[in-house]
Amino acid sequence: MIAVDILSDGLFAAVAAMGFGSISSPPMRAFPYIAVLAAVGHAARFCLMNFLGVDIASASLVAAFIIGTGSVFFGKKVFCPMTVLYIPALLPMVPGTYAYKTVFSLIMFFQEISSPGKGNEYLQEMIYNGAVSFSVLFMLAVGATVPVFLLREKANSMTRGSCFL
Amino acid sequence: MASEIQDRPVTEKHMLEIADFIARYLSYMLGAGVHTSRVVRNSKRLGKALGVDVSIHTSQKTATLTVGSEELRLKDTRVIDIPAFPISFEWNADLSALSWAAHDHRMTLDEVRTKFDELTAKPGMNPVFVLFMVSLANASFCRLFGGDIWAMLVTFTATMIGFFTRQHLMKNKVNHYIVFIVSAFVASICASSALSLGIETAEIALATSVLYLVPGVPLINGLIDITDGHIQIGISRLVNAFMLIVCIAIGMSITLMMVKDSLL
Repeated sequence: MIAVDILSDGLFAAVAAMGFGSISSPPMRAFPYIAVLAAVGHAARFCLMNFLGVDIASASLVAAFIIGTGSVFFGKKVFCPMTVLYIPALLPMVPGTYAYKTVFSLIMFFQEISSPGKGNEYLQEMIYNGAVSFSVLFMLAVGATVPVFLLREKANSMTRGSCFL
Repeated sequence: MASEIQDRPVTEKHMLEIADFIARYLSYMLGAGVHTSRVVRNSKRLGKALGVDVSIHTSQKTATLTVGSEELRLKDTRVIDIPAFPISFEWNADLSALSWAAHDHRMTLDEVRTKFDELTAKPGMNPVFVLFMVSLANASFCRLFGGDIWAMLVTFTATMIGFFTRQHLMKNKVNHYIVFIVSAFVASICASSALSLGIETAEIALATSVLYLVPGVPLINGLIDITDGHIQIGISRLVNAFMLIVCIAIGMSITLMMVKDSLL
């Protein structure tokens, strides 16, 4: 059952990454690798959060780091810069529900602004959700960018000798 | 570097032609959403391959390019407007590869230019295919957040209508911010139908329906630019992305105001 959970998590993440990626029109040859990276990254975060009890921000950092490192190796195969592979792969990890709750609590705060007790509660909820969404987004971007600095030479000559010109 | 410049003599007219081409190359790359240090690196590489020195200063809407030749003791500086192309990872990959090819195979200016025109004339992705893929993606996203199959279906439909709206508004060159507000509103109002249908995870459908709009590329590019030391343009990109996120929030708030009673 656990294996099914992990697999389905990876599968849906892969579909989400390919779909969101297609908005920014990546080359067709990149799609399979985007899918693999997204699946591995999201499944890794799922495992960290559910089985090891890691918090969402740290788990996202680790997952983004895995995706970033993977994109260095896959990028060389399909002659794509790293960003082409890892930006779509990161998108399924965007903290959507937290972002939604931030906006929702803000609106409710204004609705209840005259009743101090309820207004306070919503304001607190907004800060809580806002902090989570901001940290996760930040961690995602940082985690995926770190491998670029560690593997500078390799990361900068990814498209050299491309056979797809 | 000096030797490479010497074994390919550059005349003044030729240098200006090279400058014209590099200006076009770099405006296309910046317009298609490539992060700054890559554009600078590629343009310098291309310039070196063609026998000139290149320096670039970039900002959000314009770039300044100086092309120089030590041999001719000449510098040519121009300010370039950056056209607003849709983001294209394909151009990112192909144009980067072109700069390496020019460098490694010692291509002439005409060869590079022909190849460039060929690469940028390639047709983009079929909009209907993108529409379908995005809807499917948002439905799976809904599943990742814990939505059930009905919530997924609602999200699929809502995203399809929302993204269709976005595509059409973009085609008619409507202001960017208005496009984001309107499509966030359309998608979320469609998804709010889940509430009246009595679906258990309706709120998740509502939350996910607008996520196809998240400007992931400028967000991450902005951060990369800042860490690479291009802090000014990095901040511009982040501010731009932030404004778009605010627009998504505004569009969704309009829906939430209307349906908030059934959400509590």
